[in-house]
Amino acid sequence: MIETTANPEAPARRDGEQPAADRRDAEPQRTGRGWGAGKAGSDAKRVDLRDVNLFYGDFHAVADVDMTIEPNKVTALIGSSGCGKTTVLRSINRMHELTPGARAAGTIEIDGEDIYAPGVDPVVVRRLVGMVFQSPNPFPTMSIYENAAAGLALNAKPSKSELDEIVERSLRGAHLWDEVKDRLDKQGSGLSGGQQQRLCIARAIAVEPEVLLMDEPCSALDPVATLAIEDLIQELKSKYTIAIVTHNMQQASRASDRTAFFNLERSGDPGRLVEIDETTKIFSNPEKQATEDYVSGRFG
Amino acid sequence: MTRTRQAYVEELTELEERALGGLDLVAETLTRTLEAIEHSDVELAGMVIADDDRIDGRYLEVHQSILTLLATQQPVATDLRLIAALLHVMKSIERMGDQCVNIAKVIPLSGHEPPRDAEMITDIITMGQQAKSLVSQAKTGFATRDVELSRDLVRQDDVVDHLNRRCFARAIEIGDDVDDREWGITMMLVARALERIGDNAVDIGEQTAFVVTGLFREFEDASHPGPAVG
Repeated sequence: MIETTANPEAPARRDGEQPAADRRDAEPQRTGRGWGAGKAGSDAKRVDLRDVNLFYGDFHAVADVDMTIEPNKVTALIGSSGCGKTTVLRSINRMHELTPGARAAGTIEIDGEDIYAPGVDPVVVRRLVGMVFQSPNPFPTMSIYENAAAGLALNAKPSKSELDEIVERSLRGAHLWDEVKDRLDKQGSGLSGGQQQRLCIARAIAVEPEVLLMDEPCSALDPVATLAIEDLIQELKSKYTIAIVTHNMQQASRASDRTAFFNLERSGDPGRLVEIDETTKIFSNPEKQATEDYVSGRFG
Repeated sequence: MTRTRQAYVEELTELEERALGGLDLVAETLTRTLEAIEHSDVELAGMVIADDDRIDGRYLEVHQSILTLLATQQPVATDLRLIAALLHVMKSIERMGDQCVNIAKVIPLSGHEPPRDAEMITDIITMGQQAKSLVSQAKTGFATRDVELSRDLVRQDDVVDHLNRRCFARAIEIGDDVDDREWGITMMLVARALERIGDNAVDIGEQTAFVVTGLFREFEDASHPGPAVG
């Protein structure tokens, strides 16, 4: 059961429960089943959201979301701006609670384990649930090599040779290795937009997450770079569970296996999940009229 | 919510009107074809053949518009089903036009004399009128997205099929005279072409059901006869 808040001054929702900000310092208690610590090798996991409600202070941003993000599949989250899809995405790696006053209620489980359970370290959750953002954001002063290895330095302390291997594997995994292998010591910010985004993907997969979240990863990229990222997403799904927020309908139809449509009835209402189904169904014969109107662009 | 993509919506509406207008062309052609049969009018038959270019032209025009719309507007959901259905509908329309041509081509073979079997001619004309009614019903069913009306095409087509079988029986029993037999066989070809037009109308009905329900199912499976599939 989730009841968290990032604001240390806000009252904890349950008696005796530590605010999330404090929990971050606590030792992770879950070490028994894979995602707690010492994970060897990636293994895609299913993500279950049950009765998830998300708030920013008094504002009820997302209401009553029940959905499963299936392993080894790409799930696209679509919907108009402000419908809560990014908020839902951010709740899956506990980034939502980083916004002051933000809190979450309901249950989010990764392979049956509640990521909001007491004692779960959000930092561990974020290592296992990687995030790629809208604008490519490599660390500007770091080299390509350091960028790819950035997540590792925060976690385990691998040896130089281990690090070399992981960096190469991650850059290869992100289809970037051949383009940068001769200039690994150059700054990541010197790469093109598409390359920078692939570097961010390399950084995300270097720590071998189980779930990869992408928040409009191609919105700042040209069509060729976009298609390169989409091809990459198709390859990555063999290892990871992937959820992608996109405003690009063609991208959702091209790159995802399942599509979740979020909507809000009127401004100020919480966003809700309208329909989730196979992508081919959503784009050829959706159940709900609201989905049909949105995907066909008839209403906006 | 504000309405968007008005130009696209208008384009799609016009595309459907142009496509279904092809069924009006078929109905006109069928009227002439029946007249040519009834009066063994070779000249009128020639006009039917020449006029098929109009139906073929409509097919090409709608086909090109569909390609353009797919390339430029990326239709999805109901729009996508409509466009996929219109491709099939246009193909059926083009086939119906060709069946009229097939009939028109054999009219000179049937001779300029009065029909050798008046009852068979009556059956063929009745078949043709029934087929024309099916064409009209298929159009209304599609335009109004009326699945029940479209499904009723199967029942109406049974009338055509029944008359086709009767024509076959009469052709067999027409007698030993060589000219009579040739006439009978020629008329069988005419009946067969009209029977196919009825089938094409049913095909259009199936496309209507596809647009509405998203599921394609043949109303009747010719290779596995039995009750109509739901």
